[in-house]
Amino acid sequence: MKNNNNLINDSRPHDSAFKHVSGLAEYTDDIKEPEGTLFGAIGWSKKANAIIKKIDLNEVKKSVGVISVVTFSDIPGRNDVGPVFNGDPIFPEKKVEYYGQPLFAVAATSVELARKAVMKARISYQELESIITIKEALKKNNLLFKVRKIKKGNPTSKINKSKNILKGNFTTGSQEHFYLEGQVAFALPKEDNDLIVYSSTQHPSETQQIIAKMLNQKSNSITVLVRRIGGGFGGKETNFMTSSICALLAYKTRSPVKLRLDRDDDIIITGKRHEFYSDYEVGFDNEGLITGLKIKMASKCGMSPDLSYAINERALLHIDNAYFLSDIEVENYLCKTNTSTSTAFRGFGGNQGMMAIENIIDNIARHLKRDALEVRKKNFYQKNKKNITHYGMRLEDNVINEVFDNLVKKSDYKKRVLEIKKFNSKNNYQKKGIAITPVKFGISFTTIHLNQAGALVHVYTDGSIHLNHGGIEMGQGTHTKIAQLVASSFGLPYEKVKISSTNTSKVPNTSASAASSTTDLNGAAALNAVSKIKLNLEKFITTKYKIFHSKEPIYNNGYIIFGNRSFKFEKIIQEAYLNRVSLSSSGFYSTPKIKFNKKNFQGRPFYYFCYGAAVTEVTIDTLTGENIINRVDILHDAGNAINPAIELGQIEGGFVQGQGWLTIEEVNWNSKGQITTFSPSTYKIPAISDIPKKFNVEIYKDGINKENVVNKSKTTGEPPLMLAMSVFFAIKDAIASVGHYKITPILDAPATSEKILMSIKNLKARL
Amino acid sequence: MTSNTIEFIFNNKIHKISNPDPNETILNFIRLKLKKTGTKEGCAEGGCGACTIVLGELVDNNIQYKAINACIAFLPILNRKQLILVEDLISSDGKLHPVQNAMVKFHGSQCGFCTPGFIMSMFAMYKNNKSFNDEIINDSLSGNLCRCTGYRPIIDAAKSLNKINDNDEFTKFKKKIINLLKKIKLKNIEINKENKKYFAPSTILELKKVLKKNPDAKLLSGGTDLSLEITKSRKEIKKIIYLNSIKELDFIYTKKNEIEVGAGTSLLKFEKIIKKYYPDFNTILKRYGSVQIRNVGTIAGNIATASPIGDTLPILLSLDTKIILDGPKKREIIPLNKFFISYRKTKLKKGQFIYSVKIPIYKKNIFKAYKISKRFDDDISSVCGSFNIEINKNRIKKIRIAYGGMSEIPKRAKNAEKTLVNSTFSEKIFSKAIKNLDSDYKPIDDMRASKSYRMEIAKNLLMKCFLEVKNKKILRLN
Repeated sequence: MKNNNNLINDSRPHDSAFKHVSGLAEYTDDIKEPEGTLFGAIGWSKKANAIIKKIDLNEVKKSVGVISVVTFSDIPGRNDVGPVFNGDPIFPEKKVEYYGQPLFAVAATSVELARKAVMKARISYQELESIITIKEALKKNNLLFKVRKIKKGNPTSKINKSKNILKGNFTTGSQEHFYLEGQVAFALPKEDNDLIVYSSTQHPSETQQIIAKMLNQKSNSITVLVRRIGGGFGGKETNFMTSSICALLAYKTRSPVKLRLDRDDDIIITGKRHEFYSDYEVGFDNEGLITGLKIKMASKCGMSPDLSYAINERALLHIDNAYFLSDIEVENYLCKTNTSTSTAFRGFGGNQGMMAIENIIDNIARHLKRDALEVRKKNFYQKNKKNITHYGMRLEDNVINEVFDNLVKKSDYKKRVLEIKKFNSKNNYQKKGIAITPVKFGISFTTIHLNQAGALVHVYTDGSIHLNHGGIEMGQGTHTKIAQLVASSFGLPYEKVKISSTNTSKVPNTSASAASSTTDLNGAAALNAVSKIKLNLEKFITTKYKIFHSKEPIYNNGYIIFGNRSFKFEKIIQEAYLNRVSLSSSGFYSTPKIKFNKKNFQGRPFYYFCYGAAVTEVTIDTLTGENIINRVDILHDAGNAINPAIELGQIEGGFVQGQGWLTIEEVNWNSKGQITTFSPSTYKIPAISDIPKKFNVEIYKDGINKENVVNKSKTTGEPPLMLAMSVFFAIKDAIASVGHYKITPILDAPATSEKILMSIKNLKARL
Repeated sequence: MTSNTIEFIFNNKIHKISNPDPNETILNFIRLKLKKTGTKEGCAEGGCGACTIVLGELVDNNIQYKAINACIAFLPILNRKQLILVEDLISSDGKLHPVQNAMVKFHGSQCGFCTPGFIMSMFAMYKNNKSFNDEIINDSLSGNLCRCTGYRPIIDAAKSLNKINDNDEFTKFKKKIINLLKKIKLKNIEINKENKKYFAPSTILELKKVLKKNPDAKLLSGGTDLSLEITKSRKEIKKIIYLNSIKELDFIYTKKNEIEVGAGTSLLKFEKIIKKYYPDFNTILKRYGSVQIRNVGTIAGNIATASPIGDTLPILLSLDTKIILDGPKKREIIPLNKFFISYRKTKLKKGQFIYSVKIPIYKKNIFKAYKISKRFDDDISSVCGSFNIEINKNRIKKIRIAYGGMSEIPKRAKNAEKTLVNSTFSEKIFSKAIKNLDSDYKPIDDMRASKSYRMEIAKNLLMKCFLEVKNKKILRLN
């Protein structure tokens, strides 16, 4: 056991690992239902854009097992689940705006009967013309917000004066979250119209508020509990539809109601990642240094604002990735389309912004016939100059140059580039490609007030600790890491700390477990609570035992040590209790230093940055477009990791999820706005054979967070997803080899086999 | 003897259910009736593996452990099997099974929702193999999706099992389970629950009787497609005849020039035999679907479903396969290329069933097959191409080309074949044949591939086949 003066670095298993592998970990659908529990199902729109003429639910009501049916008229309060803006009606009254939009719901005696019942609805629509793609929306100027413009310097004149100019456009695709546990909620009515709601959500506090508003009740009448969720990735940050409808059914029937979407409904009803389209003009010198950039970024936001404004903002804040852009202008179009509302997804727009600039860098390098590695380095932020971002924030923790150089050596990049060129010159039908890409990702919610967290810690008289905080355990190991921090701070073995469900009645007004900052924020809040309890204890001990010690006591190995006096933790807790000392405390944390002016796009939106880099080598089959990843080398900065095994898991998992986004994961809508990829048979996330044949992942050894973050660690939540950018550009490199690197391939993401083959065909036609 | 009661082993005891609902999935039974919630529903179509359970089956006085998707298997098929759930792997003194231990040790779980499924697939792998290389691990786990880990720690956990002796409680209690399984006698099962009927005849004779009385019944072989009518379309299947209790349909006869495969033979069993004759057939079968699917799926099921994207069909077509149909009248043998009529319609008449599939063995021929899909594992083909060529003195004596995914039925490329047959084996003639594909097929656009891409790869696969033969070299990535 390390004492609290040391930083932790302990790869213990996930807190629930034993329960995961034995099937004993309880998820929302696993909670045993009391007798009389009803089961819900949602009936949804079959049109993408239409006036609702009539909803005939007679057959639904008559269907076997149906106890109750709810529509918009059953909602006593706010008929909207929009988290920031309105626009997400629970059940629309007059008009449907996407294929899959909920229209009504039933509660029946079994899941099967509820799902059968909803299929019996007869709904007549007056169809309107729907807008499905970004291009259609741009053409019709169908935007959710007015165009946002940000500008630094004078890009137009810089571009005009530059030696080289390139113009082009680029698309990155949508992505379905495909958390393995779908959306599910379980609502139990209590006295006074109170509700207890178990929900698979990343955001219990907002679930509570939205349900309260829907029922026209106060927040104090709704309690939301979450023990763990089976994956979130952003897809459970604002999706309050399921829990709200579940709560409404429970409210109306006065019975417990469980509502679990099946996979198809989940994918059809809920939002996905924003597709982005960019149109750019860039000026650069003969070494590839960017002198000016003008770019239009348009995103497919779906039918409502949801979090699109913040997501697009993060795209704008990451359009630089790791590059110093002296003169830049961005226009941002938030397109409204008749599709499910696009929502948060790991990376939150940052990845889309970064892909846009990486594609530009790649094209510059190809244009100049230089290795993209050199062009990237040329443009990197530096330590003492070129260190102010386009939003006016000074980089104080920049390690990208070090990480990059280190990885270039470690991965043997330069030698392999030569070997690959040799291989390609000898092989006609298989081509290899390689790419190295950097990641710089800003940490903090860009909506400043969200950067706060609370915790509640109790020490019981037997010396055991009860830990509660506002963060959600969704696989990222936040509970494990925070319990490690708490145990270490008390100088106790990990097993003494019991983590309990996240609960709005224990810790109020929490932010979503999102923006990679769950452990940073909640860990600090938990430590704040611990420090308050410790203060009580220390005051008691020093007074009672007349210790006049100027130095801080040490908590180690189950003892509290004041110089040469030591007290056994369990014993002194007993004593403290008998002397009426408070052994429980709430804790609070708010991130310092950050401020951001959204109007002029200036300030310090991020507390710190995460850095990393990846080298990927691929082989493509030029006859079929098939491809494999031969090798990936990653070096990622996790600061001083609390639990390196957990961080490694985040890095590898994030990479593979990003790989899926940029290669095989393709969301399709037909011209009528019906999503056609809504189950694992049609939507493919990476499976076991897709991962790199060689996968060398390392945490950057010199990493340390310069800011005062718990354990001097850096989060690994979202940033590793962007390491997968290297996969895309390695594929592009392999395609380029077909034309002997003379022509720049045209390739949009995701680089499916089809897109690769078509890109090769296009390239050959231009030879 | 006919009974409406199914019997299976659960927790080392015989468990009986009288008149079960034949439309109930095993997953719902486990979660709702047994109240065991370790087994999860991820997709209800056998596509994610979260519901993986293991069935112990008596084979040659030993127990074979089969991982299956509980979400698309019907309750009555538990009859005469041992049901093993993730919770059952913990030993009687509360210790984790070696497979579970490895997953903890190597950080194989993050959100934990897919974990029970992985545990069960890995458990079946552990019980059925002595050592575990990359190929066995990837094959065993390709039907389990994980969205958190990126699989590396799971692979490491599986690899670590190489150093662990197989002396778990399942080995300890094996004799007892074998004896219990033997106690459950083979009977004809006939269930009549509300308006739903289920038959599991134990002989062909009995099957014919049942079919005669119920010509409108759905034949259930693997059921990996049929079950979706319940789990996805939310329909009821009123009458089901389950074929896999009939031992006479589970066989593989290898003769000198031919392999005959019984309709009830699992794909997993078949792929092991066919590997010797047609390695590419084996490779494609491994990618046909996950172990969970191939443990129950059958070649006859794939034929009867007649999907244009069924992976075995173009292969069987190119091999001039014949099928034997049985039924009220005499057995008839028909060439497979005469069997498919239109989209998912075949010549199988009411009351008829597929008895077996006869695949010729061409020892001198070159046989090649390729599957192109968005994802390597467990995906449906965009295009599947199969080529069977007899070359004599650089002359193409006979050629069969068939594609899946190119038309509403799996079919042969007659025009391309015509160009190639009796020609000299040359790039020129292949280039000509490639152009014929435009007239052989009119593929469609869907979420898997566009029609232009489909045509492009169909052509390129023919060229790839030529190049591989010409250069005597395999040009593939995996």
